[in-house]
Amino acid sequence: MYEPKTKILNTLILLALSGALNTASANSQNMSSFYSESTLLAVIILSAVLLLISGLLWGIKNNLKAMHAKDNPEDASPSIMERIKAKTSHWNPTIATLAIAGILIVVLGAFGYKYGMDEVGVQQGYSPDQPINFSHKIHAGQYNIDCKYCHSTVEKSKSASIPALNTCMNCHKYVQAREKYNDNISPEIQKIYDAIGWDGEAMEYKEDYEVKPIKWVRIHNLPDLAYFNHSQHVVVGNLECQTCHGPIEEMDKVYQFSTLQMGWCIDCHRERGIDAENNDYYEEVHKNMVIDGKDYITVAQNGGLECGKCHY
Amino acid sequence: MKSSNQYWKGIDELEQTPEFVESEGREFYEGLPLDKVFSNDDSFRANRRDFLKFFGFSVGAVALAACNKTPVKYAMPYAIHPDNVTPGVPLHYASSSISDYEGFPMLVKVREGRPIKFEPNKEAEFYGGGLDGLAHASILSLYDTNRTPGAQKKIETAYDSIEWAEADEAIMKGLSSAASSGKQIAVVSRSSTSLLLKSAVEKLNEKYGNVVHVNYEPVSYSGILHANEQSFGKKAIPAYHFGKADVIVSFGADFLGTWISPVRFSADWGKNRVPKNGKMSKHIQFESLMSLSGANADVRVPMTASSTGAHLVTLYNELLQLAGSSMVSGPKKELAGQAIKHAAEDLWKARGKSLVVSGSNDVNDQIIVNAINTLLGNYGTTIDMNNHFNGYSGDDSSFKKFTSDVNSGRVGAAIFVDANPSYSHKSFGSLLSKIPLTVSNALIMDETARSCTYLTPDLHALESWDIKEPYVGSYVFNQPTIGPVFQGRQIAESLMVWSGQSNSASGDKTYTYELTKSIFDSKIGGDFNKAIERGFLMSTASASPVSLGVSPADAASKIGARKTSETNLVLYQKVGVRDGYFANTPWAHEMPDPVTKVCWDNYLSISKPDADKAGLKDGDVAKVTANGVTLDSIPVLIQPGQARGTYGIALGYGRMLPESVQNDLKDLGQNVYPMVDHSGNTCNYVISEGVSVEKVEGAYELARTQSHHTIEGRNIVREASLDAYNEDPYVTNHHKHNLVSLWEEHDYSKGHHWAMAIDLNSCTGCSACIVSCSIENNVPIVGRTEIRRRREMHWIRIDRYYSFEVPQAATVHIDKIMGDAEVSEGDYLTEEKKINNYTEDTSDALYDNVKVVHQPMLCQHCDHAPCETVCPVLATTHSGEGLNQMTYNRCIGTKYCANNCPYKVRRFNWFRFNENKKFDYHFSNDLGKMVINPDVTVRSRGVMEKCSFCVQRIQSAKLQAKREDRKMESDEFTTACAQTCPSKAIVFGDLNDPKSEISKLYNNERSYHVIEELDTKPSIVYMTKIRNKKEKSNNHVAHH
Repeated sequence: MYEPKTKILNTLILLALSGALNTASANSQNMSSFYSESTLLAVIILSAVLLLISGLLWGIKNNLKAMHAKDNPEDASPSIMERIKAKTSHWNPTIATLAIAGILIVVLGAFGYKYGMDEVGVQQGYSPDQPINFSHKIHAGQYNIDCKYCHSTVEKSKSASIPALNTCMNCHKYVQAREKYNDNISPEIQKIYDAIGWDGEAMEYKEDYEVKPIKWVRIHNLPDLAYFNHSQHVVVGNLECQTCHGPIEEMDKVYQFSTLQMGWCIDCHRERGIDAENNDYYEEVHKNMVIDGKDYITVAQNGGLECGKCHY
Repeated sequence: MKSSNQYWKGIDELEQTPEFVESEGREFYEGLPLDKVFSNDDSFRANRRDFLKFFGFSVGAVALAACNKTPVKYAMPYAIHPDNVTPGVPLHYASSSISDYEGFPMLVKVREGRPIKFEPNKEAEFYGGGLDGLAHASILSLYDTNRTPGAQKKIETAYDSIEWAEADEAIMKGLSSAASSGKQIAVVSRSSTSLLLKSAVEKLNEKYGNVVHVNYEPVSYSGILHANEQSFGKKAIPAYHFGKADVIVSFGADFLGTWISPVRFSADWGKNRVPKNGKMSKHIQFESLMSLSGANADVRVPMTASSTGAHLVTLYNELLQLAGSSMVSGPKKELAGQAIKHAAEDLWKARGKSLVVSGSNDVNDQIIVNAINTLLGNYGTTIDMNNHFNGYSGDDSSFKKFTSDVNSGRVGAAIFVDANPSYSHKSFGSLLSKIPLTVSNALIMDETARSCTYLTPDLHALESWDIKEPYVGSYVFNQPTIGPVFQGRQIAESLMVWSGQSNSASGDKTYTYELTKSIFDSKIGGDFNKAIERGFLMSTASASPVSLGVSPADAASKIGARKTSETNLVLYQKVGVRDGYFANTPWAHEMPDPVTKVCWDNYLSISKPDADKAGLKDGDVAKVTANGVTLDSIPVLIQPGQARGTYGIALGYGRMLPESVQNDLKDLGQNVYPMVDHSGNTCNYVISEGVSVEKVEGAYELARTQSHHTIEGRNIVREASLDAYNEDPYVTNHHKHNLVSLWEEHDYSKGHHWAMAIDLNSCTGCSACIVSCSIENNVPIVGRTEIRRRREMHWIRIDRYYSFEVPQAATVHIDKIMGDAEVSEGDYLTEEKKINNYTEDTSDALYDNVKVVHQPMLCQHCDHAPCETVCPVLATTHSGEGLNQMTYNRCIGTKYCANNCPYKVRRFNWFRFNENKKFDYHFSNDLGKMVINPDVTVRSRGVMEKCSFCVQRIQSAKLQAKREDRKMESDEFTTACAQTCPSKAIVFGDLNDPKSEISKLYNNERSYHVIEELDTKPSIVYMTKIRNKKEKSNNHVAHH
């Protein structure tokens, strides 16, 4: 007779776990998109009123009970602890423990998900040390070099691409920042020379030098399951680099500015318009586009929220 | 509802075997072992303590894993950026197909310096603008970890790596001593059209003298070569133009599958297969096995292979009679239903616009073929002898002379260039030891290389420069698309080094480039860079009629004197594997054979009546003896349509691969090259003497996709005769269903609306689309065992259906209620005429005359998709452009969608193929991973996947148009399947673009949706198959 009990137990636990998962997913970040804030407010007020009423009723009931007990002492009920003991004494300890553990998992899990798990894998603010202490503040900020000078494929490709050493050498053949280092070559610039085999003193490339590409630490890590294309956003969407990458021209050391979560992508797609006027592609395709309520077509209206636009 | 017995996929379906019936309706063959878990079986019983242990462990493990730091990822840019490379943007280089040795233009798609896919060169219209499955699959030979890493020397039985300089010195010494002792130096190559190799061999001859160049072809066309030499004085295969022919008669030549240049022929053939102004070509096939060409013929009549000659003479005489000339004396042998007489009448009516070909390798047979084509006036129209083909020049008689030279010790040195006679010639392997110096350029250790004294591995074709001349005056160029992956050296350069022309032992990277350029300048001339960029040069002189310089009567009498036999073994090539040269390309083996639907193995195919007689059934094993060679056990496969008395086994199997190969490719199938008959002047692949087949103990389950994903008797194939179509173009598509929909219609009025049309008329079933799709979409190779479990991953499959055709007018017993009924020749057997109660005799005759329909089946991208409504997590959704999207990262693997898909096109990913060492194909090793398409997610286990209409290509084409600020033409890109289709059966495009081809085809009178009565509103239309056949219109669409 032991097996069926085990089976029931297993099933119950599975049910509880799946319940926990369901609760968790229902509590997820998409809540705000399904309910407007006013609905939420109404629910809170309603709950408060209901709580107040039940509290009042409970108080009334207790008062009545106390009055009744004063008149009939023999009817006095046992204390709360005694009542709990009487009820739990015949419980199966295993089931009770598991049930309580299950409830705890569900409740804590839901809280954990809402306030902790949501952030798992999000690397906002990630700012690792790089093999060369390259400063965007100096290059993009102080010297105002166009981002596209180094990230030259950003208008052509999905990848903005980290510049190759020969791009650095376009300037750093001559720019050696000796004024800051007692007439020595800056140690950071020297790292470029070491990698590509440039003799900073003789001002020439070393012969038969085996070039060593720089192994940068990747800061923006989008999972492989999401397809992102820089050229789409920069050329077609006319976005500034700073929209996603933040005040890059002020960063001495680059950090991840945005969350790179899907919700972050989606929010932008909901708001941002398509420049249909100035792109002949849209002209033909969107002749019949219905614009509801807005004076521009958002990315979302053009299918920018469809799964298959980024996940394939 | 079952509509009728009209179409069936296999004998098990036809006979409704219990196993078939059980598995038919199941999307997943093996259920979960739930009954076992809930049984009292101790081994499956869930124990409370065990449960708690696992529970605790999982919670702990998850908690610990969650504490882990996110792994640090690195990004390594180029040190020095190559000018033309943009990371993330593919480059296309024109080159030449690896598997078409004679030279066949194609494009190589390169990402960040890695070739990742081959695509047809659409500019090369002459070649058809397609690419076959093997050509696609052969890309893996570049990323093969088993490639010989560098020069090696044989010391006793093992090989040791040596420096190239050392190898060069030793080989030159060996060559000199061979030359000084007056012996031959032989360069044994596959029949090459390479100008580089030719000039290198010339240089070698200049230096050593007495150098012979032996062209060796494992499956030879010597019969045609010799016949043409005798008939027209040109020892070459002509250029055939199937597209110009109104009547095509083939005697066992599988020109759509394996014969000479099947991709070009399929494209050409396809041009004239779609009815235009009430006309299309008529294709008559007489053959013994069921080949791809036979499966696509309008009329197919089984023929005993060894009497091909007699049938040819009969046809010749029929034609002579029609021409009013006197007949030649020779055998007369008609086929069932006076098929040859009818064929002669058709041919005669289409004189000058007809074509007769034969797959026979016999000189006299081919002389008769030449005589027939001359009589019909086909030279200069459908056959071009002036711009003849240069490939397959391998001549059996010259190889025979070479082997006798070796045997008598007259050969002092042999250099093997892509030739592997130890494998494909039964007696050559043992002769190798008689040659003092043997050198092989093989990329992987093959059977011949195993006994060579030096290995000087060639560069892969994708790493090499070359000029090939497939047709007279037409050139195809090869350019490197990747730097050498291993320490190889191109064979032309090696030969130049050995002839003292170059001393670039250190590897001068520009040597072969300079060589190619100088040959181009001296032999061809013009703009070299432009030629390389385009990939080919065409110059076609006008074709002219030729006169026959040989007496057909002689040939006919020789054919008459020949012995024929009713029991024959036909050694043939399979479409995916061909002659077996690319043995280590798993994609080619995973592709189901277009006719038998078997993956991975070879087998003995046998006709149903013969099998019944011998007591054999599918899955049995048999012992086969032929030509003195015995195979102890080979799996048996019953092939409907195969001629009685004919057995078939495919060549190209049983390769001995390097020891490091430990997957399903190891010991794959059995080698039947030793059975080839070398007794005559030309090799004979039809063995008629000493053929015996007997059943032996044992069983072998072939990995066969035939009955997977059956459509459960629903009427999804539509076909009609040309006459019926001309009478009424909507012939099969009249019935319209009254459908009520629960769903809202999608609004496609804005933007794009992607759709596809598949023409069953031009689809040959060649399966190139399967391989192309797999490579484009990172579809894993699952191997033999998983296919047996019905877990193949192909996103597109080709369903092959058989149907019976009544061979002659007869009275058949239908059933108790309907009694006997008259059926006439050419009738289909439909619902009312079930075959169940046929008498034995009639049923045998039925099996001779099956008709075949191929139907590519892929995700239909339904507007009312049944899969979308059942997904509990919204992982599969509909896009505004008509795509049914699959979001892998949302999918939790409930498989509800697959169970609810009426087309059975969703595939569940059972394993992490890219990490799992049990699937030791390219996907799980670092070198093989190079071929992965970076634009498509590599799916993990536990998710459902399916055709995406190549959404990555759609997105990239749209983006390009947006970036370039212009309108998008829907025909500027296409899906991987449509792109590669040799016969242009698949058309993809935007329905909202009125100029697109798809918008014209979508509402064509032949177009229909599969299972449209379910109101799934698919985005794919199929177009009714029209057969050019005389028959009355009896095509009613049976439905519920």
